[in-house]
Amino acid sequence: MLKKYIEIYRECIKISISTAMTYRFNFILDNFIMLVSNTLFPLVTLLIYGSGAEFPNWSLYEVLLIQAVFTMSTGVANIFFSGVLWATMRHIIEGSLEIALIKPVNCLFFLIASTVEFSSLSLFLGGGVMFAIALSHIGPVSILMVLQFLVLFMSGVCVMMGISLIMAATSFKWVGNSRLPEIFDSIKYFGRYPQNIFHKTISGFTSFIIPVAMIGYFPAAALLGEANGTAFIAILPCFVFTMGGIFLFRHMIRLYEGVGG
Amino acid sequence: MAIIDVRNLTKTYYTYRRGSSFSDTIKSFFRRERTCVNAVHNVSFQVDEGQITGILGPNGAGKSTTIKMLTGTLYPTSGHISVMGYTPFRDRNTYVNHIGAVFGQKSQLVWDIPPVDSFQMNKAIYSIPEKEYRNTLKELIGMFELEDIIEKPTRVLSLGERMKCEFVMAMLHKPKIVFLDEPTIGLDVIAKQKIRSFIREMNRQGVTFILTTHDLEDVEQLARKVIIINHGQKVFDDTLQKLKMNLGAKKIIRLVLAKPVAEIKLEGIKVIDRNSDFEYTLEVNLENSSINEIIKRLSEMCEFSDISIKELPMEKIITEIYKTTV
Amino acid sequence: MNFLVKKLKVIKAVALVTYKEWSAYRTHSMVSIFVGPVYFIVQYYIWTAVYSGKTSLNGMELSEMLTYFGITTLIGYITMDFADWNLQMLVRTGKFLTFALRPIHHRFFALSQKIGHRILGLFFEFIPCLFIFGFIFKINLSPANYGWTIISVVLAFLMNLYLNYTIGLTAFWLVQATGVRRVYLLLQSIFSGGLVPLVFFPKILQKLLLFLPFQYVSYVPAMVFIGRYTLAGVSIPIPQIVGLQAIAVVVTALISEIVYRSSMKRFTGVGA
Repeated sequence: MLKKYIEIYRECIKISISTAMTYRFNFILDNFIMLVSNTLFPLVTLLIYGSGAEFPNWSLYEVLLIQAVFTMSTGVANIFFSGVLWATMRHIIEGSLEIALIKPVNCLFFLIASTVEFSSLSLFLGGGVMFAIALSHIGPVSILMVLQFLVLFMSGVCVMMGISLIMAATSFKWVGNSRLPEIFDSIKYFGRYPQNIFHKTISGFTSFIIPVAMIGYFPAAALLGEANGTAFIAILPCFVFTMGGIFLFRHMIRLYEGVGG
Repeated sequence: MAIIDVRNLTKTYYTYRRGSSFSDTIKSFFRRERTCVNAVHNVSFQVDEGQITGILGPNGAGKSTTIKMLTGTLYPTSGHISVMGYTPFRDRNTYVNHIGAVFGQKSQLVWDIPPVDSFQMNKAIYSIPEKEYRNTLKELIGMFELEDIIEKPTRVLSLGERMKCEFVMAMLHKPKIVFLDEPTIGLDVIAKQKIRSFIREMNRQGVTFILTTHDLEDVEQLARKVIIINHGQKVFDDTLQKLKMNLGAKKIIRLVLAKPVAEIKLEGIKVIDRNSDFEYTLEVNLENSSINEIIKRLSEMCEFSDISIKELPMEKIITEIYKTTV
Repeated sequence: MNFLVKKLKVIKAVALVTYKEWSAYRTHSMVSIFVGPVYFIVQYYIWTAVYSGKTSLNGMELSEMLTYFGITTLIGYITMDFADWNLQMLVRTGKFLTFALRPIHHRFFALSQKIGHRILGLFFEFIPCLFIFGFIFKINLSPANYGWTIISVVLAFLMNLYLNYTIGLTAFWLVQATGVRRVYLLLQSIFSGGLVPLVFFPKILQKLLLFLPFQYVSYVPAMVFIGRYTLAGVSIPIPQIVGLQAIAVVVTALISEIVYRSSMKRFTGVGA
């Protein structure tokens, strides 16, 4: 069973890569635009520090580290989970979700696998370069810190998977609202900055309610040796978010089948 | 009196060949091979006021190119066009006030709102006086029985209803000449009939119609004059009657047999295709015997499980035309 | 006079149709009521932190900075434009033909459409956000001078249309015009001042931006609202910068007309 799913996933990735190669020019342009538009916020940070100002108690490279992690995390999530929203939306508008439903595999898995998209690869790589630069200006990193970072980073990716699925589930009811992702993008914005600049209520919200701080801030803080209890407690809502996303999406599919049948 | 006068109309496109591979695209960036396409070549014809003229031809023959040049939206490479005294491509801005057009595949209606709102918009664009607008709209809607339809959003309408609304939209400013490009494409039989009778009625009121189609039935039911274009050249230009005389009364019959027969041989019937022992395509000549009689004789000769009768396809008509005129 | 009345009638009819057309997507517009304020909250905390211990950065005070972000968001709702997208769709689907067949200049049609679309934006984006910014966030929303601000916003409205329309016209020439469009939109989002006031950019870039059209879309009207314009160390009095903006609009309109005419030549030449 598992072998079959891995096999399917591998095939889907192959298809996605060969599609990207067919439209090379578009692929490169997509990547370029995705990268530049997502590095605008580090640009603002650079401009702030370039103007002689700063976030209190944060050096430029520390802030950039948060934003590099955020960019990498977004890159990973975009590649693997962002397609599912558009695919679901399109299927619902065109009434063609049945195509996915009649496949002899789990529908959610199939939608995620068949919408793997590498047009955000540069985003991940660009984030990686920024990450390396920022890290080289920051003190030594211990193995423990790296492990903490990895755990928190994965949790951040899980949050975005949860968000993608919740949005996809929402599109069952709110048909064709192409601006849906903007709502969550705006909330994610909070995760890009040191959390101590925000009011306590807000940082509580971004840690525990919609844990967007996990996308950039918490993993970066681990590498700076500042991962505290809050960061690890926040893994719990991340987990809840992912499971919630999966549950909600499946629930919507069941409803759809009920109505459609 | 000729309302449209076209002389030696020619349209030549130059296209650049592009390779599909990556290295081809790079190469084509520096050196491109130019290929020349004669979309319309040395075509001349005249249309009289109050006529319905059908421009026939297979896909890609140059019908649409011709009609675009007649509407002024495409420049001819050479030649002369005069419509109601205007030279369409030169006087486009004033000229388009006096013509109407329906392009089967290109809608003027706004997708998300009722057609009546789109009509209002054209009323302003063509500066139609309020009273005139109301009278014309009432008349057109009555003819199509669209009273309830025009208040519904366009996106919920059927293709036939939408097409009727396209016609209303094109006629609101009372154009003297209306150009139709494949007006019945994709419609069901009833909708086709409605639209044809609308065209006939408007024609009776004095509107000149030019329509392109590859549906012979459109022409048979509407046009008095037929122009056939193939490979950009005019191959026929005369009355519908003359066309029929040239072609003879021929139809295509497809048969699916229940039992195989050695041979189908009857007077006035020619086997033009034989897919298997069971499937035959026949060309029948109806000059000496009626379709009724032919079928009777066919059924005496063999047992069939399915039969369909069709008009001659466009390609066939053109080869027939070549045979009789060239 | 008669000519003008006719033009106004067309604007009214087209704007009304566009308003009705997009009314179905009201909830789409209303997403802005959430997104706009959320972005503003983030900006508020970023800049409050950055300004701690400083009264002025690049000649701007914190309160001005917050007003700047609030007002660029609000101006964005009024001037937002998608003429480029629209035009490209018309060209790609071949529907541009139906406009060539009607006695109307398509750019004038696009202007009328934009007016209708933005009136909708006024009701469902601008006014709700205006109240949120004014009464909840308590940012200063009274312009230094009402007259100049209104003129400048109207000019920004036109500027955005003419720029986008010209970009959209590339669809007549290029098969893959979406690429041009996206690169342009990216440049505009960085250099119009929506990201950060242009005075934060390096001096050399600021000098370059003085001569590019981007600033007239967002930065100029926002600074006219605040009542003081500086870029690349050059301070220009408000009436003069609005004058410059007007000249820029006229020049852009002329360029767009030149490109339009050659595009029409191409359209009627090859029927693209």
